[in-house]
Amino acid sequence: MLSKINSFALVGLEGMPVEVETDINKGMVSYDLVGLPDAAVKESKERVRSAIKNSLLKFPVNKITVNLAPADVRKEGSYYDLPLALSILVASGQLDAQPDFVFLGELALDGALRPVAGILPLLISAKDKGFKKFIVPAGNKNEASYIEGIEVYALQSLREAYDFLSGVSDIPPVPARSYSAGKLKRSYDCDMSLVKGQKIAKRALEIAVAGGHNILLSGPPGTGKTMLARCIPTIMPDMTFEEALEVTKIHSVAGELSDDGIVFLRPFRTPHHTATTVSLCGGGTSKIRAGEISKAHKGVLFLDELPEYQRSALESLRQPLEDRVITVTRSGGAVTFPADFMLCASMNPCPCGNYGSSAKECTCTPAQIQKYRSKISGPLLDRIDLHVEVDGVGYEHLSSDAAEETSAEVKARVERARAIQRERFSDCGITVNANMGERQIKEFCRLSAESQNVLKSAFERLHLSARARSRIIKVARTIADLDFSESILPSHVLEAVSYRSADFK
Amino acid sequence: MTYTQEEINLIVLSDIAELTYKARRALLSDLSSASPDFEKCKNFLIKTLSDGVYNKVKASFYDAEYRREVLRLIEENGVKCVTYFSDFYPESLKNTDSPPIVLYCKGDVSLLKSDCFAVVGSRRTLPKALAECKKISGELSEKFTVVSGIAEGADSAALEGALGCGGKVISVLANGLGKVYPAINYNLQQRIAEKGLLISEYPYGYPPKPYYFPERNRIIAGLSRGVLVVSAGIKSGALITAEYAFEYDREVFAFPYSSGVTSGAGCNKLIKTNAHLTENILDIFAEFGLDFNVCDEPLEKAELEFLDALQASDGGFLYDVAQKLGKRVFDILPVASALEIKGLIVKCGGNRYSMVNR
Repeated sequence: MLSKINSFALVGLEGMPVEVETDINKGMVSYDLVGLPDAAVKESKERVRSAIKNSLLKFPVNKITVNLAPADVRKEGSYYDLPLALSILVASGQLDAQPDFVFLGELALDGALRPVAGILPLLISAKDKGFKKFIVPAGNKNEASYIEGIEVYALQSLREAYDFLSGVSDIPPVPARSYSAGKLKRSYDCDMSLVKGQKIAKRALEIAVAGGHNILLSGPPGTGKTMLARCIPTIMPDMTFEEALEVTKIHSVAGELSDDGIVFLRPFRTPHHTATTVSLCGGGTSKIRAGEISKAHKGVLFLDELPEYQRSALESLRQPLEDRVITVTRSGGAVTFPADFMLCASMNPCPCGNYGSSAKECTCTPAQIQKYRSKISGPLLDRIDLHVEVDGVGYEHLSSDAAEETSAEVKARVERARAIQRERFSDCGITVNANMGERQIKEFCRLSAESQNVLKSAFERLHLSARARSRIIKVARTIADLDFSESILPSHVLEAVSYRSADFK
Repeated sequence: MTYTQEEINLIVLSDIAELTYKARRALLSDLSSASPDFEKCKNFLIKTLSDGVYNKVKASFYDAEYRREVLRLIEENGVKCVTYFSDFYPESLKNTDSPPIVLYCKGDVSLLKSDCFAVVGSRRTLPKALAECKKISGELSEKFTVVSGIAEGADSAALEGALGCGGKVISVLANGLGKVYPAINYNLQQRIAEKGLLISEYPYGYPPKPYYFPERNRIIAGLSRGVLVVSAGIKSGALITAEYAFEYDREVFAFPYSSGVTSGAGCNKLIKTNAHLTENILDIFAEFGLDFNVCDEPLEKAELEFLDALQASDGGFLYDVAQKLGKRVFDILPVASALEIKGLIVKCGGNRYSMVNR
């Protein structure tokens, strides 16, 4: 007898329908699995056999052939355990055909269902393809509960699935949950008010987030660069449900989802400086995985000690910083991952780290400093609009009780500035100042004669590079937005000029 | 450029690498004759050179082919040689006790005869001192040709400062022409060759050697009427230049530093002995009986207040200044940028600023 069971395979972040076909015939006893299974799928044969037996069901003693269609796409992972088992049960006449359901899940030897990675994107794709009913492992219940318009049954074991499908037991579908209700309960570990002093750096962070600019923090070791960076997500506007779903997809596929089932807080990723190009951008030989920049989607990618990263790894960030997506191409195919992240980098001002510190003297020669700083290429610096120095703070500053602004207050200002930008760019396909191209800069950042003069003299006297110009103008535009100012005033330009400490020559 | 037979003798002698300065000097009978006397110096030379080398040196000096080759090399590379017996050779250098025998030059040779003033300092120089060095070199260049080495830090700041004001500069290299050390100053060296003068005591293409640097410093001191030491550690090449200046009876000037600043300890030591404490250009010009008109850019009220608060603050931290002014930090950021653009303050890293002396 022949059976067909629906399942889905993951290709990048998208689901692809897979049919599990089983044919049972008389003949020599055998059990063959075809349709380009990888090692994990091949091994499922043994799991399925034990799981069926241990669920007090019969494993047919015949010639069994299982095919995973389409047969020309490589099948990976342990999603197919449950559909395989059910397909054998249907083919051997123990269960009726189940054309409405999509099955996903890994089996334990005792027949229990184990959670799998990537349920959310699979469900979303299947929903788009018109499927309405799903059976997933109970461990994936939370993830599945945020998708509206489908019936998801989260089950504990193969036996439970068998009983449910054969109508012996009645199990209710997973109740839908609301994103906004859950969001209120979550908060970040950091808060701006916990960072003492560092007024200039905090202001720069506010500007950076308001305008969607990337930022480079430089300062002596131990002055709080990392702590400041960790505060960035706390002042970013909350994610909308759509954004949260996009982020959750990536984290779900990577198997890094928490028990919440959805990502409520903006991600903050800190890859170590030994990270390779592939770990940053994504890749892999057979299965293409998302890199850190995609896991930081809609959040912050924090590169601590920027000059210590491999040059090639840093250069690979240039294109995704521009396009906000990355297409990873391998022999197995090409996958596009979203990568709309804010880059925050930190570095010491010089090799000894003490340049600008009031306590210790810097022992580096200009050539050493130049060499250290030039490890970061010009094109990458081009994409970092704000370069800000962190104060070498003294003890009296850390112990002061002066009230500091909370993240919520800063966030309110950021959201106002973002609203102004959304309105301004309503026809342009961008939402923040940082993404302005030359044409938009011309249109929206007209400088008065006075501001022009200020900018011109800044260039002449401070030897700014030509590439610094559009950066300064974009940042000035954001400062003006934070100020509710329609036009860019000279003071806005001057403040923007002060955020260029890393602009060497 | 055409050379007399006497000059060619000197150029060829200078090109023979085996000879030391002392040996060349002895050969020229203590710089009184232009034709080397190998026989008379034989005993002296053989003390330092072996017999074979002595013969080789002698042979190459008289070898017509070798002489042609030496001249061809400098001709091809556009090097002008000013020898001890040349009209261009500066008197100031001639009066020192160890004048170079040949100066290999690139650029405007007439600058050798102009009034020179040396500005030297260490590679590790505070941003504030660098800015002041740049400024004072620009002002000096109104009356003097600014002389320096070409190391990064104070030396290149001095040259940049003078060139930026359209002044004349001489850079004395510790390597032969045609080499750039440090390589980072390639562009600067090109500009000096075009607008000023590059000189070296070493033949074309010689790479730098550690002991060339102190030797070179005697030329910087010897050329100049005065030497300003912008920054110097307790053991520094700039101090060697100052020592030569004292020896040659030149005026020595130095920036003062507060105690504990490594890159200023040498300056303070000089001031303790005989150097003039120098805060601005007036201190130098007064010593030479020159005038200088200070023309101030008009400042706004906020800018004047900022400068006062900065002067009163301890480490020059911006948040400190803001506190003194009773303002938010980012409200005074524009003022700080404006003052920086006007060249009155300079960033020292870590959101600290220093005043640049006027």
